[in-house]
Amino acid sequence: MQNIVTNGTKREIHRKSSRVNSNANPYNYLAPALISIFILTFLPIVYTVVISFTNYSLNTMHNVKLIGIDNFKDILSGPFTKVFLPVFGWTFIFAIVSTFGCFLIGLILALLLNDKNMKEAPVYKAILVLPWALPATIAVLSWQGLLNAQYGAINIALMHLHIISKPIQWLTSPTLAKVGVLMATLWLGFPYMMNVCMGSLSAIPDDYYEAAEIDGASAFTKFFKITLPSITRTAYPLLISSFAFNFNNFGSAFLITQGGPPRPTSQYAGYTDILASTIYNMSMTYNRYALGAAMSIILFFIIAIISYVQMRASGQFKEVE
Amino acid sequence: MEAKEDALKYKKKLKPYEIRRVWIERVVIWIAIILTMFPIVAIVAASMAPGSSFTQETIFPKSINFDNYVKVIKDTDFLIWVKNSLIICFFVSIIQLAITIPAAFAFSRMRFKGRKYGLMSLLLLQMFPSMLAVSAILVIAYSIPNGMDNMLVLILFMCGGSAYNIWLVKGYIDSLPKELDEAALVDGASVFQVFTKIIIPLLRPMLVVIFLFSFIGQYSEFVLTSALMKSADMQTVATGLRTFITNNFSANWTQYSAAAIMASLPIVIIFLGGQKYIAKGLVAGAIKG
Repeated sequence: MQNIVTNGTKREIHRKSSRVNSNANPYNYLAPALISIFILTFLPIVYTVVISFTNYSLNTMHNVKLIGIDNFKDILSGPFTKVFLPVFGWTFIFAIVSTFGCFLIGLILALLLNDKNMKEAPVYKAILVLPWALPATIAVLSWQGLLNAQYGAINIALMHLHIISKPIQWLTSPTLAKVGVLMATLWLGFPYMMNVCMGSLSAIPDDYYEAAEIDGASAFTKFFKITLPSITRTAYPLLISSFAFNFNNFGSAFLITQGGPPRPTSQYAGYTDILASTIYNMSMTYNRYALGAAMSIILFFIIAIISYVQMRASGQFKEVE
Repeated sequence: MEAKEDALKYKKKLKPYEIRRVWIERVVIWIAIILTMFPIVAIVAASMAPGSSFTQETIFPKSINFDNYVKVIKDTDFLIWVKNSLIICFFVSIIQLAITIPAAFAFSRMRFKGRKYGLMSLLLLQMFPSMLAVSAILVIAYSIPNGMDNMLVLILFMCGGSAYNIWLVKGYIDSLPKELDEAALVDGASVFQVFTKIIIPLLRPMLVVIFLFSFIGQYSEFVLTSALMKSADMQTVATGLRTFITNNFSANWTQYSAAAIMASLPIVIIFLGGQKYIAKGLVAGAIKG
């Protein structure tokens, strides 16, 4: 390319003008992305759909046939309903509690740090943001050790502070395992929300507060009429995408408890399994590829609906125009 | 910023209720900091504790040593995991960038048939994380020769998720002034020259950041890696650390902690260094989402 610019001989100019057309063809620029996305993302999705209509599993590997929507029937109203429904319910609760919990903690801390009289606030912020900086998988794995009943640091600390007298069985009781998973998720997720809230707090013009002060508004009114609406406006789309992310938050479910403790009623999913980890187990542990694929499709529709709402809210569709 | 500082100068003395409020806020934040730091401190302490600390009864060990770090490096496959992770993350991030930038350029600067639907379908695909296709990917990997335990196959499948990055880079190219390209085009530059001589140099600082954050994102990838990589010498940091748990975690907790710290430290440093970019929202979600 360099030559063409510097040596403007006639022949090269001619070559250049003939090249302009192919240079300006947008599809040349798009080709690598489109081809790779088509082969590596789109085809596996199509294949997932195909598998979900078959009886593909380890036993039927050499005798795969189409069985229509039987897998979906099994999951939604057949023998696998008792696997699917409790997992679905917990996935929902998990996603809601972790999204709004993180947001609430993040909002409160952001409001506190936003006090102009607290000069050392940046130092606090730098410390509080640490869990976000850790590689998520490693941080989540570590929580399994922290929650361990015998040597876990949480039980040791609680016992030394005389809050409890004997170790809490975090990982073996269904309720406590859920609490433990949520604790880890909140710990890992609040710094992001704190960051979001601090960003939108600093974007609120000071004039608003000054005007409110002149009008004699109380701190309470100022918070509910100015601060909260402004934050929600910026955070709303992020909350939804964070909900979609947590709905799929494989790591928290699988790496802390391995989905356990196991449910006595089914081998396929434990008490803390969410849909994503159930799908993973279906394929990886039980080799029921077709069932896993069918669950993926169901999960995809749920995420698609959530994301559609999010894109409407954040105006991403307008950007397309 | 300046206005804020001025405002502070006017208030020479804080009113008593303001001082009280700041102190209450401080106490709440100190409690939050203790709760936030507790897990990290506990793991750092465990990593320096002597023995297996199967029967560790205090958080802070009585004596400190680095035996666990030495053991992890000498006795486990930790360095192999790090090597595998670095290779995979590096190539996935580089390939993704190479795929992403021209496409983002076309979507941002060109008008063509199918642009609108192309962008919409990118959004749609981005909703379907590759881990949901794990059943299909496994079946594919089993059916092609050498599909399992093959780093190339894993890297390829991990590169598939570049739809989100295209949006990210497109947004950034959108923000570059269009007059620059127009001036170059008027001077006789070709579109390709605009791309290589104007857009890419302007993108350069951004590319480094996107590369690093994509790198961090891949570093935590677990689902595809654990699905496709079965043999012990093909594990990455994320899947390898998990073997500490499956292989009798309780006896290995102190070694696990040492490995976790060594594996996390570089990422934390990169992350904190790039934090001002995250604050701008430029790479938000690129890391954990």
